[in-house]
Amino acid sequence: MSACDVVLVGVGGQGVLTIADLVLHAAFEGDVPATYAPTKGMAQRGGFVKAEIRLGRENVGPRIAEGQADLVVAMERSEGLKGLAFLKPGGTFLLYDHVWAPTGVMLGADAYPSREQVLAAIASVTSDTIVLDPNDRLTVDGSPVRPNILVLGAAVGRTPLGKILAAESMAATIEARWSKATESNCTAFRFGLASGEPAFDELLGRSHDGERLDGKASE
Amino acid sequence: MRRIVTGNQAIALGALRAGVRVVTGYPGTPSTGCITHLLSLDLPGRHVEWSTNEKVAFEIAAGAAWAGQRAMVTMKMSGVNVAFDALISIAYSGTNGGLVIYVADDPGVTAGMAEQDTRGFARMADLPILEPADAAEAYALAQDAFALSEAVGTPVFLRLTTATALAHSSIEVDEPTPPAERDVILEKEIGRYTKAGSAICRVQHARLIERLERAGDWIRERGLNRRALAGDPGGLGILSCGAATAYVTEALDAVGLSGADVSILRVSSSNPFPATEATALLAHCGAVLVLEELEPYVERDLIVLARAVGFSGQIVGKLDGTLPRIGEYSLDVVREGLRVAAGLPSGDQTGEPSSTVLSSAALAASRPITVCAGCPHRGTYLAIEAAIRAAGFAKDEVMVTGDIGCTILGMNPPFDLLWNEVSMGSSLGIAQGYAHAGLTTPVVATIGDSTFFHGGIPGLVNAIQHRVPLTLIVMDNGWTAMTGMQTNPGTDEARQAGGRRVDLEPVVRALGPERVTVVDPYDLATTTSAIAESLTDQDGVGVVIARRECAIQAGRRGVRYGTVTVDPEKCILCMQCLKITGCPALSIRRVESTELGESPEGDSPGRRAIEVDQDLCNGCGLCVSFCPTDALGDSRRESLGGESRQGDPSPGGKGRST
Repeated sequence: MSACDVVLVGVGGQGVLTIADLVLHAAFEGDVPATYAPTKGMAQRGGFVKAEIRLGRENVGPRIAEGQADLVVAMERSEGLKGLAFLKPGGTFLLYDHVWAPTGVMLGADAYPSREQVLAAIASVTSDTIVLDPNDRLTVDGSPVRPNILVLGAAVGRTPLGKILAAESMAATIEARWSKATESNCTAFRFGLASGEPAFDELLGRSHDGERLDGKASE
Repeated sequence: MRRIVTGNQAIALGALRAGVRVVTGYPGTPSTGCITHLLSLDLPGRHVEWSTNEKVAFEIAAGAAWAGQRAMVTMKMSGVNVAFDALISIAYSGTNGGLVIYVADDPGVTAGMAEQDTRGFARMADLPILEPADAAEAYALAQDAFALSEAVGTPVFLRLTTATALAHSSIEVDEPTPPAERDVILEKEIGRYTKAGSAICRVQHARLIERLERAGDWIRERGLNRRALAGDPGGLGILSCGAATAYVTEALDAVGLSGADVSILRVSSSNPFPATEATALLAHCGAVLVLEELEPYVERDLIVLARAVGFSGQIVGKLDGTLPRIGEYSLDVVREGLRVAAGLPSGDQTGEPSSTVLSSAALAASRPITVCAGCPHRGTYLAIEAAIRAAGFAKDEVMVTGDIGCTILGMNPPFDLLWNEVSMGSSLGIAQGYAHAGLTTPVVATIGDSTFFHGGIPGLVNAIQHRVPLTLIVMDNGWTAMTGMQTNPGTDEARQAGGRRVDLEPVVRALGPERVTVVDPYDLATTTSAIAESLTDQDGVGVVIARRECAIQAGRRGVRYGTVTVDPEKCILCMQCLKITGCPALSIRRVESTELGESPEGDSPGRRAIEVDQDLCNGCGLCVSFCPTDALGDSRRESLGGESRQGDPSPGGKGRST
């Protein structure tokens, strides 16, 4: 059985740990050995969040050492720089290029990395990079889809994670998780799966409805 | 059946399988999940509670165990400091029913406090300690802990570390066992159950030492410390404890060693030291690598043993400088240990981030932890600062001591208000020390409700007795919030599982401080003047109870106190609201020209304004008063839960405002 070590990073409130939990449950249903170790700060929202997921191997500890992850998924641009240290040279980096500016950045007191800085840093470790643009706002019945489920779809559809967890089993896990908004979440997942396809651009043509500013740093 | 559990849940399920009857504890990351899980289950015939502090929790479990029942107490490592006064005494007396002390240590300090190693307490108390390496072992060893405790008559420590306690994995779990029907033991024997006099205590001490020896025998007979000698004599041996064990297989692969050539002693119980198994390891191996997080307890024991048995090979661990005493062990640490112990060349830099990656990581934005949107503590912090100014002092000349829990977040920007954080309840003692040290400016102590009940009351009594000029601010939000919303004595009765609410206000009044004021921290003016008054009046102790329920918990019931809106035409983007409150619900957005009544063609790029995230904002209204242009509006409306901002501010809804 193939193995995959995944590090997910982001900001508290983005649903990083939810993605990790869904992956763990899909692995469990598919009899894939798996562990998932969450790391979160003390705040409810706005703090650094990390999830380490180890798939396909027995007898491994829950932590992933630096330079050992096959896949790093970053839900936020700046946090992507913290996740990068875990990526194996030549591994896959999936960046959801959302900017969640801390207050100090909004006030102009603290620096925030540019997209170019982050992409250059990633390029020093791997050329296998996927970037999702948060300004591509996808909607179901007028409501924006959950970005974390979208990102999970892209991870399953376009990275080594999909070699261990089939899209159908992941979709079934998502469907079983929520009694409400099932349709919206399943659609978000399918959007993510298709995010590298031409069909995705067609979707964007219909649902692109402007951007939201998250402070100075996003300019 | 197979199911996904955390290490904390595995301990809970193991205890249920062992037929535990009483489980008590005080919340503390990373241990909290054990009792949280038990409280989520329907457990007839068993008692599970969050207790006032770890000492009380331990004593309850010990009492139940003396009475013959199986009992467990849970805490984070810092809690052992609190419980230890009772713990050492109970260790001397021993137990009747199984008594298990589950502690989660936090190497790497994911959640604050000292990086202390509970194995040191086990040694100090001459108690056996079991150290699972993963969730499956946690489930099994939790059951063994009860069996060992009853077989020998001793309390038993059960210890996880952060990664194991919090990691989710799937394990095989059996049905819980109902608590055994046992008659309560009522044994009157002062020689065992008191500490009155030298004769009694010395006999108990001798029996304690003898029990630990018998525990060692029991552990050896059960084979809990698993030894596998492999390869030719004179080869490499590994002695690993707890969580470090989980990385051994992987690390062997990483350095290109075969498991068939390396001998391993997996230590699941480091106290008493498994001398028999370790002797066999030393006899077979030419060098031994010791893997244990935090303190080198086992390594020292091994070195002492090595001298006794004449082992002359290398022992690699912390004491020779190879491995760290700080932080968690993971693959990279174990790999480095193996490399040194096996005499492999260095230079294999696999996994170490490049200088480019490291310098890029330094570009990441810092995210200081702050309080949530709508948090009532925000109002208290702002009021303390305003009160210091109103009383004629500068912020940097007034000592404001901090305490454990969410209330300490006032140390961070934008408040930068609190000077120190020590241990549960210490804000009061430290503040009194500053007052006696000759400080002529006012001294303020801050503490949360749960921390006040836990360890703050003795410090307040002391300050009142000794007439210390001091202002205590109790930030009463009705919940033990930082650890994930547990109940405490002050929690609203409707949200306690059958428990009664103990209102801290009459408790404080009964102690007789010079002044007591109860305020709503959402009401900045009143809160500020109450605190300023206490700072000005330097006669004895003044207590200000800043009372308003935790915004997260109220929000979960749909409580909103109003709606804060922004008029983009009036917003001049001075950002005072953001600078002063640091509220996560506030951000900056681009304003559409149509919103400003301009024609769509007259696009004004760069026109921006403050935005309020209505999903996060609970309408506390604190930001509104800092807007110099009245761009922020606070349209009050009845909350969905029927709780209005003007109403009773008590977290329990039954308190009084005076």
